[in-house]
Amino acid sequence: MSLARTFEVFRLEFMHSLKRPMFWVQLILLAFFVYMMSTGRAQMGSGDARVGGRKAWLTSEFAVTQTLIMLVSLIYVFFISVAAGMAIIRDDEQKVGELIHSTPLRPAEYVWGKYLAVLASFVGVLALQVGFSMICNHVLPHGGNAEYIGPFQIGNYLRPAFVFALPTVILFTGACFAIGGWSRLPVLVFVVPIAVLLLDSFFLWDWSPSWLPLWVNRVLQFIDPTGLRWVKETWLLVDRGVDFYNQQHVGLDALVVWQRLLITAIGLGSVVAFARKFETQLRGARVDDRTRAAALAGSPLANAPAERPAVLAPLASLGMKSSAPRFVTTMLEVMRAELYLLVRAPGLYLFVPLILIETLLNEYGVGAFDTPLLNTAGTLASGMMNTLTLLISMVILFYTTESLQRERSTGFGSIYYSTPLRTGAMLAGKALANTVLGLAIVLACFIGSLVLLAVQGKVPLDPVPFVIVWGLLLVPTFLVWTAFVSATFAATSNRYATYAVGLGVMILSGWFQMRDKMSWVFNWNLWGSTKWTDLATFEYDATPLALNRVMWLGMAVFLTVITVRWFERRERDATNALLRLRPGAMARSFASLTPFLILPLVSASVLGWQVQDGYQGAAAKKDRLDYWRKNVKTWSNAPLPSTNSVDLDVTFDPPKHAFTMRGSYVLENRTDKPMAQFPVTVNPRWKKLEWKTDGKPASTQARSGLVIVNPPLPLQPGGRVKLEFSFSGRQPDGISRNGGYEMEFITPSSIVLTGFGDVTFVPLVGFFPDGAVEEGKNNSDPREWPQGWWKERNHAMIPTALHPYDVHMRVDVPADLMVNATGERVSETVKGGRRVSEWRTDHPVRIFNLIAGRWSVKERDGVAVYYDSRHPYNVDEMLDALEGARRWYGEWFAPYPWKTLRLSEFAGWPTYAQAPAGNISFSEGIGFLTRSRDDGSAAFCIAGHEAAHMWWPNMAMVADGPGSAVLSEGMAHFSTLLLVDKVRGEQQRQGFAKQMETRYGRLRRPDSERPLTEIDGALPGDNRIWYDKGGWALWMLHRFMGEERSMAAIREYMAKFRDTEDPAALQDYLAIQRSHAADTTAFDAFAKQWFLTVTVPHYLIEDYRLVKDGKGWKVTGFVRNVGTGTMSFDVAAVSGERFPKAGKKSPAWREGRTRLELGTGQRRPIEIRTAFQPEKLMVDPDVTVLMLDRNKAEVRLAPEGASRLTAVR
Amino acid sequence: MLEITGLVKVYPGPVAAIQGIDLDVPLGMFGLLGPNGAGKSTFMRVLAGLLEPTSGRVTLDGIDVLDRPHWLRERLGYLPQDFGFYAHLSGRDMLLHLLRLKGVSAPGGVGKLADELLERVNLSFAAKRSVKGYSGGMRQRLGIAQAIAGNPRLLIVDEPTAGLDPEERLRFYHLLAQLAEERIVLLSTHIVEDVAVLCPQFAVIRAGQLVARTTPRAARDAMAGRIFEGVVSPSELPALRESRQVTQELLVEGRHRVRVYEPEGDVPAGFEKVAPTLEDAYLVLMRNGALPGLRAPLNGGAGAGGVATAEVHA
Repeated sequence: MSLARTFEVFRLEFMHSLKRPMFWVQLILLAFFVYMMSTGRAQMGSGDARVGGRKAWLTSEFAVTQTLIMLVSLIYVFFISVAAGMAIIRDDEQKVGELIHSTPLRPAEYVWGKYLAVLASFVGVLALQVGFSMICNHVLPHGGNAEYIGPFQIGNYLRPAFVFALPTVILFTGACFAIGGWSRLPVLVFVVPIAVLLLDSFFLWDWSPSWLPLWVNRVLQFIDPTGLRWVKETWLLVDRGVDFYNQQHVGLDALVVWQRLLITAIGLGSVVAFARKFETQLRGARVDDRTRAAALAGSPLANAPAERPAVLAPLASLGMKSSAPRFVTTMLEVMRAELYLLVRAPGLYLFVPLILIETLLNEYGVGAFDTPLLNTAGTLASGMMNTLTLLISMVILFYTTESLQRERSTGFGSIYYSTPLRTGAMLAGKALANTVLGLAIVLACFIGSLVLLAVQGKVPLDPVPFVIVWGLLLVPTFLVWTAFVSATFAATSNRYATYAVGLGVMILSGWFQMRDKMSWVFNWNLWGSTKWTDLATFEYDATPLALNRVMWLGMAVFLTVITVRWFERRERDATNALLRLRPGAMARSFASLTPFLILPLVSASVLGWQVQDGYQGAAAKKDRLDYWRKNVKTWSNAPLPSTNSVDLDVTFDPPKHAFTMRGSYVLENRTDKPMAQFPVTVNPRWKKLEWKTDGKPASTQARSGLVIVNPPLPLQPGGRVKLEFSFSGRQPDGISRNGGYEMEFITPSSIVLTGFGDVTFVPLVGFFPDGAVEEGKNNSDPREWPQGWWKERNHAMIPTALHPYDVHMRVDVPADLMVNATGERVSETVKGGRRVSEWRTDHPVRIFNLIAGRWSVKERDGVAVYYDSRHPYNVDEMLDALEGARRWYGEWFAPYPWKTLRLSEFAGWPTYAQAPAGNISFSEGIGFLTRSRDDGSAAFCIAGHEAAHMWWPNMAMVADGPGSAVLSEGMAHFSTLLLVDKVRGEQQRQGFAKQMETRYGRLRRPDSERPLTEIDGALPGDNRIWYDKGGWALWMLHRFMGEERSMAAIREYMAKFRDTEDPAALQDYLAIQRSHAADTTAFDAFAKQWFLTVTVPHYLIEDYRLVKDGKGWKVTGFVRNVGTGTMSFDVAAVSGERFPKAGKKSPAWREGRTRLELGTGQRRPIEIRTAFQPEKLMVDPDVTVLMLDRNKAEVRLAPEGASRLTAVR
Repeated sequence: MLEITGLVKVYPGPVAAIQGIDLDVPLGMFGLLGPNGAGKSTFMRVLAGLLEPTSGRVTLDGIDVLDRPHWLRERLGYLPQDFGFYAHLSGRDMLLHLLRLKGVSAPGGVGKLADELLERVNLSFAAKRSVKGYSGGMRQRLGIAQAIAGNPRLLIVDEPTAGLDPEERLRFYHLLAQLAEERIVLLSTHIVEDVAVLCPQFAVIRAGQLVARTTPRAARDAMAGRIFEGVVSPSELPALRESRQVTQELLVEGRHRVRVYEPEGDVPAGFEKVAPTLEDAYLVLMRNGALPGLRAPLNGGAGAGGVATAEVHA
């Protein structure tokens, strides 16, 4: 090889790279992202959110690693695919190949010169990006963002660049270069970015259910070419604290080192392989001897005419005629030719399966409790919409551009463009052909979805949702995107500029989506804005959806007109182009386009106005802030009257999301001081709001959403007042900004409303500042409570729920809806298309709600599930849970006081479940559409959890203070663990406990985690600690106490706090448990560890060995607690299946155990002798101790296994 | 009638590829002759509606085709100088595709017409073969087949015989001659023989300007009595080139048979008067910008050289 010649090829290609518009667009995009990140628009998911709390630095090696991987994988890859993939193709199109290769230049010199130039240009981009990051982070001033910037350490930038970014760049450049050179088909160069996007963004980076075996996880880490899965799984999933991430390097293990080396080798190997192939290509395809002999024998003069007629008739005898070709005919002809080419190119057969694989992976989507979701046709169609939108938009970008470029690349343009083919027909024909590709992908996904549904075997195959979701929502996206790409090509007449603009638009759209800056007006691809529900398809946001689609279809027409006008069949004259830019010419041109702008502009204006006026619009935001600003200093913690009874008469008009309300509260002053006035929160958008007190017009003051009611006379202690109100309202009131859903709503097919939480259909007595807090605007650090706060008389966690009260409701709905309201139905009439039902509580309640839907009902003794007839799958499991709850919770804690326990399904726009007394609401995505596994049933667990809320806190209300939510959510989880164990068995108890443990480990923020008694929900991660750590801790306490003592304590707690004026704090619960403890010293140690401090064990097995020991086996090793806390637990050497699958033969479970107690940082040896050959060594085989990263506390054993260290500490 | 008035094309740079051409092209075959880079292809691309001129006017039968390019396309057959096809289509499929796009019909259907046209250009034997495997000449013939298809009012062929062997060239000449009976055929070439064989009229373009519009006979007549031929040794040739206008040189048996243009009758020793050829006239025109005996420009402002014109002789 001649270095001089190689360098000459390199020099030319490198200089060309620098001149490409794509190069500069990429640099600008990267600079934009780097700058935005340095100014705090992106943060690491670790650290302490409190003021002055330790923050995760954007400049740490971990942060830089993640940033680089994401940018290389999501941005570089597209630019690389064009630059590297087209390097050889471009020379082909320019027909310089023969000239170049007739020089002494060798093929390898040519290939390596080209490749190294492409690689160098992207390494240069990488270097510039890293350099720019350093400048943005460490040179430019940082005001409010300074706490996220650590000290400058060049290694933090260079190590990630060399270890993660560079090998990936080498892989992408090598693979794209080889694919382009090998196939000489421009579209195929996009296989790599599509594959990366599919496998990484949609699967490898995030899919990590708690039940995934470690070895599978390690395989997935290995096959992720970017390394991000390895980083996440190894270092990030279990938060190690901000100090660790800020100070430590990203430690590498053997897996990632080999993986980085391998992908580098694959990248370079692709170039080597292509260089060899290219050398043979240059001399023509090799033909075997037989083929050559056959060719020579059969056709000695292959290119010669066989026989030539002596005289041909004159041309005129052919009777040729030309007529103006018809638009449709020529359009179809163009489409036919394009399809011919499309079908014969391999792109179709690569993109369709790739996208189909992604579809199939949807089957493994997980929902609540990491339980596999049960897909319906609608959820599949809707769930795949984002993926399909993104991928097909990319395919459209590539195919449309290449299709429009084809005539120029092949040299056919001068003939083609001089034919009488109409430009519109040509563009339409090409677009239609590309649409067929899109349809082929959609069809493949549709078939894949049907297969999935068939494999599930539960949900019927129903094509209608696919037609609705993909037909009405997806197709307009494809049309407008095709029109946009075509218009861009027409305007620039340059394929690379088209790619740059197209990719730029997609990336920026994604950025605005991720930053939550998108709105219905600009959301051209509806990314993330729609959610399917089988119960009430698009009833929630039909108006913005329709306007959005109309607007963008109008825009598609406008862009098509532009394309037809600007498409350069006749090369424009530069001088005349300047003339066309004169104001007069521009104005005339614009005026001629105006008619096509009317529809999109009008739609956009209407939509924009609706967004602004909607419940997430500026006016609504201002309302909320005004409510907070006006009242926070005056009305926070103001004394409130208690509710004695509630009487409501509500009439719904679901198609308008509207209702009219007439009702009353009987309020009683249960404080010891007179109450001259009290606050009531209302919705500022309610109309015709009127108040009466004791039957007379009330004296009120309006304070920005807070109404101050002045009773006729100050309400004396023990005094009562009847507060009557009437108004009309809507819920939701207006449209969302970009598809966000309210928790409560009224739609024609599904209604869910509550009398607590948000002000949706009833006024709430009190001022609720937390609901008006906006992150970054008026949020504050959590309140610091004084020591012993719980010893004082406490407010209730739900202010209106301190005292139980009676509820009476009269509900008027369209006759096709059934209603479930708090209490028992005492009457129902159906008349004139309306259903009027009356509900009255048979036992006082603390909160109330109302649900309506079109349901089927399944009942057992005292329990019932109201479900959509299309969702019967898990109803029996839910009934099991409700029935078990009534029986066992009743037996364990206190008898269930209400007559029935009902559970009703509502449309799953928001995903949650709530449990007002006797009337549980479940969105369809929770429980109704999940698949049970041997080790877990979300339907059972969530129903069990919500049923437990009947006791915690519907019976025993908890205090408004830190830790109290543990007595609500934690107790519900703890109760569920007991119920699962009792009804479903040990395997499911272990499964549920592991899920709780995994969620806690992944979502906790160690830097800001507080003890259970101090946690108040104000910091990120608090929520999971209430539920998961709270539930675990209460369950471990129960185990520590012993069942009998623990249950006795729980019953005492229930009795004490059931009708108290002083709701319970977690400390109250602990005090009662302590009073039942056999060993109070041990109890105090236990309680301090799990409730009063932040403690989490984290066990590693080290230096383990399995050796033959006579006739048996001996396992030795060490267990280290790298976490905190002191706990006793078993370590077991095991073989076989502990919980064999039903109907399957499995090896018998055998185990040998030893018991160990480990404190913080301790390391102790273990030795287990067994008569059998153990396969695994596991810490805490019965899942009795909450720990971090349980996967690392289990290792596979191999005989004569050499000493091994755990991979990562 | 194709009428071109004041046609100018300036590329950014600026490069004036066409510097104000006025030309009327009547029914029949019309040649456009000029050296490489003279602006012929730019001129042809403008006429074919593929290139927007900087200024000027082009009408076909009175219709401004610059304003109505689509009207022109319905009446145009065009064979560009440099072109390609969809490589993966067969020759027949490619031709069929273009016939459909052009709205061409025939009594036996377009399929049969495609076969007939392929027969006319001697490509029947490769009709089903992918265009990717065609030689340069085969592609050129396929290009000819699509250009002559239909009933174009205007047929523009740019360097059509490039890549054709003598036999195919002759066949093509016949085809063009047939077509020229009923339509305007504009043949652009730098091969003088093509014009001499085919065109009753032709124009010569040089450096973006029209320098002559005449007939082959008139051009030859203008040279009558001014072309002399003789044989010189290699050593004498340089001096001859210095002193005379050499129009042609032919090396025969180590000596040069040379033709010189001598307008004043000062004949070199040993040279004899011979009948002029069109190539003699073309080369003199290229060198001098005009031919003796041809009239002054008919329409002024055609550039520095003006336009030499001659009456058409039947």
